[in-house]
Amino acid sequence: MTLKGLKEEMKKVPAGSYLPDFYRVRGYETSGSSDPSGIRADGIRALFTAPEPFIYKNDLIVGSIASYFVSPSDEETKTVEKYMEKHPERDFVKNGDHFAPDYRTAVELGVPGLIKKIKRSKEDHKNDPGAVAYLDSMEKTLHALAERFLQYAEKAKELIGSEEYDGERLFTIAENCSALARRAPQSFEEGLQLVWMIHNCFVSEGRYAMALGRIDRYLFPLYEKDIESGVIDDEYATDLRAFTFMKICERRFFCDYDDVVNICIGGVDRDGKCAVNGLSYCVLHAVRDVNLPGPNLSARITPDCPDAFLDECLKVIGTGLGYPALMNDEVNMAALSRIGYDIGDVRDYCMVGCIENFIQGKQPPWVDGRFDPICYLLDIFQNCDGESLDGITSMDRFMSVFEEKLASGVEEYVSGTRSESFVPDPENHTAPFLSCFCDDCIGRGRDINMGGAVYPSVHGAALMGIGTVSDCLAAVEKVVFIDGEAALSEIRDAIANNFDGYEKLRQTLLAAPKYGNNDDFVDKYAVWYTKTLSDMFDRYKTADGGAYYTAMAANTSNIWAGDSLGATPDGRLAGMPLSDAASPTYGRDEKGVTSTLLSVSKPDYTRCACGTVVNQKFSPSAFKDGKREKLLKLIRVYFSRGGQEIQINSTSREVLEDAMNNPEKYPSLVVRVSGFSAIYVTLDRQVQRDILSRTQHETV
Amino acid sequence: MKTLNVSCIQHFSTGDGPGIRTTVFLKGCRQRCPWCHNPENVPDDPVTVRYGTTGKSVIYGNVMTFDEILSEVIADKEFYLASGGGVTFSGGEPMLQSKALSEFEEIIKENGIHTLIDTAGCVPWEAFEDVIDLTDTFFCDYKTADASLYKTVVKGDRDLVLCNIRRLVEAGKDVRARVPLIPGFNIDPAGCEKMCEDLLRSGVKNVDLLPFHRLGSSKYAGMGLEYAYGSVAPPGEGEISGIRSVFEKYFRTTVE
Repeated sequence: MTLKGLKEEMKKVPAGSYLPDFYRVRGYETSGSSDPSGIRADGIRALFTAPEPFIYKNDLIVGSIASYFVSPSDEETKTVEKYMEKHPERDFVKNGDHFAPDYRTAVELGVPGLIKKIKRSKEDHKNDPGAVAYLDSMEKTLHALAERFLQYAEKAKELIGSEEYDGERLFTIAENCSALARRAPQSFEEGLQLVWMIHNCFVSEGRYAMALGRIDRYLFPLYEKDIESGVIDDEYATDLRAFTFMKICERRFFCDYDDVVNICIGGVDRDGKCAVNGLSYCVLHAVRDVNLPGPNLSARITPDCPDAFLDECLKVIGTGLGYPALMNDEVNMAALSRIGYDIGDVRDYCMVGCIENFIQGKQPPWVDGRFDPICYLLDIFQNCDGESLDGITSMDRFMSVFEEKLASGVEEYVSGTRSESFVPDPENHTAPFLSCFCDDCIGRGRDINMGGAVYPSVHGAALMGIGTVSDCLAAVEKVVFIDGEAALSEIRDAIANNFDGYEKLRQTLLAAPKYGNNDDFVDKYAVWYTKTLSDMFDRYKTADGGAYYTAMAANTSNIWAGDSLGATPDGRLAGMPLSDAASPTYGRDEKGVTSTLLSVSKPDYTRCACGTVVNQKFSPSAFKDGKREKLLKLIRVYFSRGGQEIQINSTSREVLEDAMNNPEKYPSLVVRVSGFSAIYVTLDRQVQRDILSRTQHETV
Repeated sequence: MKTLNVSCIQHFSTGDGPGIRTTVFLKGCRQRCPWCHNPENVPDDPVTVRYGTTGKSVIYGNVMTFDEILSEVIADKEFYLASGGGVTFSGGEPMLQSKALSEFEEIIKENGIHTLIDTAGCVPWEAFEDVIDLTDTFFCDYKTADASLYKTVVKGDRDLVLCNIRRLVEAGKDVRARVPLIPGFNIDPAGCEKMCEDLLRSGVKNVDLLPFHRLGSSKYAGMGLEYAYGSVAPPGEGEISGIRSVFEKYFRTTVE
């Protein structure tokens, strides 16, 4: 059994099309329940148990979405559509996925333990028929999970003796699976099998970006026990991981897109002590060995975590993979503390999706959107006549006009996102299986989105273009209000014409200080941007009373937003990308990475509870022995100054250029895109160019 | 106002000494190494390089005041202290400005920052006397054991270089000899052995080997100059490790 063998097997796409709901609606068809959650639970039961289990020849840990390939007739497809319309699922904007389940409790109690907990709760709620009915639905889904384990155990036994299968391994799989139907996991291997099967069930439900969270915490007790007793060694633990993480990539091979399954290592324990352990390294190495996008690894870096851990992270990043993203634990925890979570929960946070900070297993699934301040800046120019524009006679006045527009923009954004997330009939959108893995849905007998979760839902507003906005404001201040080289109305005319005929003015604007060069003249606007917008979002709450977080991260939206946007007062031409995430505009940070990071660490990122993305690119030589330590110290200083995140690409410019011209040569070149990694040659040309244009810090 | 003739200032220079460093490249050099990868720093006067890939023109050469340079290098102080880094003066030949340089180094030292001078070593000893007490580490080139090649190709003085290295060592300074590995010029085994003998006599303990690379070629093109080494292939891994093993017999040797 090899990892490569598993990857090869995954490349053989099953026949038919991927349609888990084909099985789900069988449960809807035959459900005798009149309660919407009861019907839903019957659907889930069918979803989990109707399809044939699928075991790879190279499987160490079983559970695959290959089971969900079917070839339905037209009529069957229509039936699926009909029932799915009647029992709709919540999607991303309606708190449907991007969730980190409470795997700690699941691993502690096992499936039977969770069922017992539900039974106790039913007893507690015996006078509340609604709660009891919902708990019944939850219980039904867990019985289905237990049954699924037994089915896999049977399947494994059946396959013993089959061509190319390893009988001994199948025997272990069968034992693990049948044990997990009966009791809590007692070994590391069983723990991992439990978690993977649950994850696979979420995927079959259609949920995307379901995080594995702090896997080096909740599996650590079992790992430690097995290491101490000699049942496993680190090499085997790494293999188990790698063989599991590889299957996150089934989506890439089967459905041609990457899942973004966040895995978090490092950080502190609930008492605040450094939590890096042997398992953290195993996870790191497993992700390295998989070497594919999908397992989105985040490392929480504390001031007291060993240099050896950070160095190991850098080694993995230096393979070109770009994982893990490095998170400044102190800033993230300070940001989450501001929201008011219990300190233990704050310390136990992880990430979902790309970089979004999340209180693991205690709040409804994550939602976010993009807020683009630049259109409000341009609005000043576009919707003022020349006279009133030039009536703005000071930078202070300009800023207050901008702030007014931003405030109403934020208000509009909040009401838009609220109505987008609004579900008129929540009782017909419940998630009984998901709710089993969110504290305290079982105790309260309530759905995760209907008051079951300990904390309310939050919304992340991804603030775009901090670099572009800062550069625009600095250029306006310098050129209009300090040097008097142009009037605001001239800038309006110039950008309206995409600087055609205004090249001299464009050069003047370009010559103004730019974000990313440790120049306070412009950096002060980044500080203002973060504070002002975070203050504005602080005024609002989500429908159930949670916070509006801000983020300085927006995936690749900077490219698409820039694509449809006219020229801007910083000298940027129409259609060019906006600055990416929290980074300066690429190519404008000309004074080296220390200056870039000094600029980027000036804003108060304890205001951005969602998180930040700072993309940096280093030539591969920066990761060599002897040089890597300098990178390590660079990151330590950047974090000590309050930088929130850094993620690094180490693929050389030459390779990226060559891959654009000869994609066939680089089928598996993985690069860091934004809060996630991807296979470079599958990316859109514009995204490829954006990555290429990132300032590469040479070390020669 | 006190000034230095600066070519450019590079932050996070990882090849110019220990830790995270800022390198201040100073203008002017009297040697004429045909493989030089910093041709823009050779003339005393400003040089414009127009880079083909970006179409961007950069002017190298700016008489900067001490205050201007200081504010640029002091910004990274936290990085220096955390990493055991500091400020490197390179060039060009920084020792051509030894008087002003010593005054500037004094300010750097007052700020508790490590100083390093990267020199070709072909200057009178008196120039070293200007800076010796203010410089923590010296990098000094040694390019060939053949005195006549030193004279005709490098336009330098081998004996003067060796003498300066010896005197720096004798003065108790931290010195590293820097040997560029130039194909067809100094990488034959016999020549390397000879260089080792010379360096051993000078008393130096540390040698950095700097394999030739062509990263400077875009600068030659951007200056409208022919690069004599534009089509010379860098030495291969095997060749480098062979040379390394020669030097390792005598010195603590690193390959940059």
